[in-house]
Amino acid sequence: MHKFLAIVLFVLSSAVFADEPVGRVKTATGEAFITSSGNKAKAEVGSPVYQGSLIETGKNSSLGITFKDETMVSFGANTVFTVSDYVYSPSDGKLKFGSKLAKGSLNYVSGAIGKLKPEAVTVGTPSGTIGVRGTQFLVTVAE
Amino acid sequence: MKSMLPILKGGLALAAAMVLGGCAPTYYVDRVGCPAPCAPVPDSYVVLIPSPDGTVGNVVVAGEKGEQVLNKSGQAATLSGQPFAVDEKRVKDDFGAAMAALPRVPVRYVLFFSEGVKLDPASDAEISRIVAEAKGRPAVDVTIIGHTDTLQSIEYNDKLGLKRANRVAELLRERGLKTESVSVQSMGKRNPVVSTPDNVFEPKNRRVEISVR
Repeated sequence: MHKFLAIVLFVLSSAVFADEPVGRVKTATGEAFITSSGNKAKAEVGSPVYQGSLIETGKNSSLGITFKDETMVSFGANTVFTVSDYVYSPSDGKLKFGSKLAKGSLNYVSGAIGKLKPEAVTVGTPSGTIGVRGTQFLVTVAE
Repeated sequence: MKSMLPILKGGLALAAAMVLGGCAPTYYVDRVGCPAPCAPVPDSYVVLIPSPDGTVGNVVVAGEKGEQVLNKSGQAATLSGQPFAVDEKRVKDDFGAAMAALPRVPVRYVLFFSEGVKLDPASDAEISRIVAEAKGRPAVDVTIIGHTDTLQSIEYNDKLGLKRANRVAELLRERGLKTESVSVQSMGKRNPVVSTPDNVFEPKNRRVEISVR
């Protein structure tokens, strides 16, 4: 019982990375990969996502991720997306979610960070920046 | 003036393409001088849609060609910051796979404690519903955050909030909660749902918030 009193407990943590995951894969079809701290692994339901993770989907593949602050992102085929900057610490007001969509398609549903600090949520693309003010939107970046 | 010429030329090409091929003009809004008339060349664009709760927020798209604020459902812009018209069919074609891959919307619960770490009876009954909700989700994560009212010090309430959150974690586990991860935290008296002066008893603030996602 005492173990459960720890501040953060990971029942099935892979414990490969020192950092705590900031999100997790909830849906996956086809072949997709997540590269975190230089380690590339196949993305499956349950795979952790970290600050700095690079996410790639292949042909006929899709992936859905839910983050700690309840932001949801999902991708269609041939997508490259980076979690460049993720900070979710509501108790001291430290909030930020910066990401980059290099190519492919993205469905974005903003979460608590978007509600508490909308100016801290951005999606970068090769031709500009999208500022997110608490909402759902779709982005496609052509190759 | 010089820089206007290609745009004019492009405009003529666009008009010619529309007359000759009869294609939907929306595809060419940002395609001045489109090289292959009538081939629906893929574009890079953003389109706003309603959130899962039905509300429509807004996004600001800023690029080298300008800045667009989207605040209506279905409104779109190119990534370089120009207005862009897009119909429902094209949105489905471009985003069907991404939309189908969207995870289930997270659910939040609030449980109340009228005294110490003892759950109110109605909230106690809610525990089983939370366990059932978590069971139906793939690779579920749960966050449990304890809160207090403003009676006593910050330090006292940080501890009390954590005790409440841990109590809920314990109850969830006893009733069969299985997850990828459980995060237990306390906000103490820092984030009341009802704002009060310091040292005020307020049952609505004696709570634990649970995110199941």
